[in-house]
Amino acid sequence: MPEGSMTLIEAPPNSPLRIVGVEGGEAVRRRLFCLGFHKDDVVRVESRAPFRGPLLLWNATSGCRTALGRGVAAKVLVQTVDGEE
Amino acid sequence: MERNRVPVVVLVGQPNCGKSTLFNSIAGPKAETSNFPGTSIKHTHSRVNIEGRLLDVIDLPGTYSLCPSDPAERVALSHLFGEKPDVVVNVVDASILSRGLELATELNELGYPMVVALNMVDVAERKGIILDAPGLAARLGVPVVPTVAFHGRGVKELLDEVFRVLDRVQKPRPVAWSDDVEAKIGEVTALLPSEFPLVSNARFTAVKLLEAESMPCGEMLSEVDPGLKAGLDRVRKELEELRGAPVYEVIAAERHHLAMKIAEESSRLLHGKQTSWDTRLDSVLMHPVAGYLILAGVFFAFFLVIFKIGGPLESLLLGPFVRLKDVLLARWGPSLGFYLAEGLLQGIGGGVGIVLPYFVPLLFLMSALEDLGYLARAGFLLDAFLHRIGLHGKSVSPFILGFGCNVPAIVATRTLESRRDRVLTALLIPFIPCSARTTIILALVAFYLGPFWAFGFYVGNIFLIAFLGWLISLFLREPSPGLILEIPSLKPPSLKHVAQRTWLQLLAFIRFAWPLLIGGSFVLSLLSYFRADALINDILAPLVAKGLGLPHELGITLVFGFLRKELSLIMMLQALNVDYRSLLTVISREQIIVFTVFVSFFIPCLSTCAILWREIGKRWALVSVGLSVGVAIALSWLVRLIV
Repeated sequence: MPEGSMTLIEAPPNSPLRIVGVEGGEAVRRRLFCLGFHKDDVVRVESRAPFRGPLLLWNATSGCRTALGRGVAAKVLVQTVDGEE
Repeated sequence: MERNRVPVVVLVGQPNCGKSTLFNSIAGPKAETSNFPGTSIKHTHSRVNIEGRLLDVIDLPGTYSLCPSDPAERVALSHLFGEKPDVVVNVVDASILSRGLELATELNELGYPMVVALNMVDVAERKGIILDAPGLAARLGVPVVPTVAFHGRGVKELLDEVFRVLDRVQKPRPVAWSDDVEAKIGEVTALLPSEFPLVSNARFTAVKLLEAESMPCGEMLSEVDPGLKAGLDRVRKELEELRGAPVYEVIAAERHHLAMKIAEESSRLLHGKQTSWDTRLDSVLMHPVAGYLILAGVFFAFFLVIFKIGGPLESLLLGPFVRLKDVLLARWGPSLGFYLAEGLLQGIGGGVGIVLPYFVPLLFLMSALEDLGYLARAGFLLDAFLHRIGLHGKSVSPFILGFGCNVPAIVATRTLESRRDRVLTALLIPFIPCSARTTIILALVAFYLGPFWAFGFYVGNIFLIAFLGWLISLFLREPSPGLILEIPSLKPPSLKHVAQRTWLQLLAFIRFAWPLLIGGSFVLSLLSYFRADALINDILAPLVAKGLGLPHELGITLVFGFLRKELSLIMMLQALNVDYRSLLTVISREQIIVFTVFVSFFIPCLSTCAILWREIGKRWALVSVGLSVGVAIALSWLVRLIV
């Protein structure tokens, strides 16, 4: 894990985050790329569904909204970004 | 191009880009759906006449990239690669331009003549995105036409451009990536033997070969052409060392960066734009408390509307059939002619009067919810619960579809990426009360025991599905990959689009089900004329009479319940020789519950069995049948003990 990074699950809500890595198997990574999740994209955790449900993410770089289950979110590594998105 | 052949135009785009809406505004009401050869995945197509020129327009299922990750995408792409359309219309959601352009640049690499429909420019404007269509066209090297398919805006211009491209037969050239990656692709292109089966062109084939490392074709290649395989592995290794990432990621990143660059150069973002109505609405729809209340409300309203419309419609439509039957009986007496006519009437009456009143509103509302983008939101909200039973939120759509008919619901499991999730979802769908079973539940339980019993039946049914999901997932050890679900922007549903989709689904259902329905009624009428039903009843007596405590005559209905569940009710009335309203004179309320429980679960109907067989294989289809029979017997006994 790159220094100072955390998984999306640990990330603070509603603050800009930069994706520094996507872990996991090829199938999951390919799917994330297809849905517009790439390294260096800036994302924001908009909300978390209760009962350990999925995270709702806003990807500011590609401009789309995606729901990620906790298992998948644990594979996306992010760092907090200072300043504006 | 030959003079007499009608040119083929294929619509390709990412899911939720408004592709089907665009298709509808081009194709109008004449569209038809067909299966792709050898599959049950449907595509919609239509022959249209535009100012005297004919076009065959095909709407392919949505795909995020030309590297398929679910079976529906795979079929769509093999069609695209195999059939070589004359023009590809790539529909791009203008409000998420850079992601849409990843597919656009990939289609560009494919090199078929192409036009980009820059769709939903109104949504983009609302988000404060100002688009430069001519600039985009120059950068992509293909014509770009801004459209708002929902209002039919830009459709004529798009078609004009399609004809222009058809006349010129101009193929796009791929926009180049970084020099080092292009050099490596060049090396692979040079390695390809002259007789190698190219997909469109050498560069595209080379890129696909590089990307498809872990796919089965890689292994095949080593047997067919060990030299090429060795060369490919070397280039792959060099590229991975150069970039420090697997090749598929390197290529995905190249496309991403190119798409981002083109998008940034061809659009401008106005800042300080107020949050629009859809963002505000969305924060309520997906709110941790309000979201669930709304979801429960939506489901409640959904079924309320269906039954409020269905109930009166049913009695309105069934009345004439009953009266006609009485007239015939009075005139002909119990002759063979009467039995044949009765069979025909029961079959048609069952189709028109019992299935349609509930099925049509369900299809319509379902289609509207999908158009609105609400199904994805329901998936987000329900993911946590589905997680408990070993699934995730993407199974929500197939499950809801299952309330209409299990067959399309099982087909819809193809949008799930992992086979494990597909199998589990497909095994659970036959336990969802489809419209045919809902009809029985309503006609028997709600009518004779009251609406609360019917509601309880539904709730119990959902708990049963949860229990079975939990049970089956104990045996499917492989973990589920988890939810990755796009939440599309909210769109007002288009009445035209929703009505058309409902009509197409209905047509497919009528063609498939009605012959079975009428045939089944005929056979039962004949059986009762020749008194052969008694034999079947005797054979099934140990189960029906002893096991379930039901009238001996109902054995025959189980046989026909297998053909189509909605036959069960007509068959029940016919077997007991009563009309609907006097049912309680021959069987008790308790027997009605036992019968409903048993008929609901005892076996997936013939068409569900067939689709299970095709979609998840013989073994799992048999598991499903065994599971249903076991559950039906166990539950009916349990109910008999309790009630």
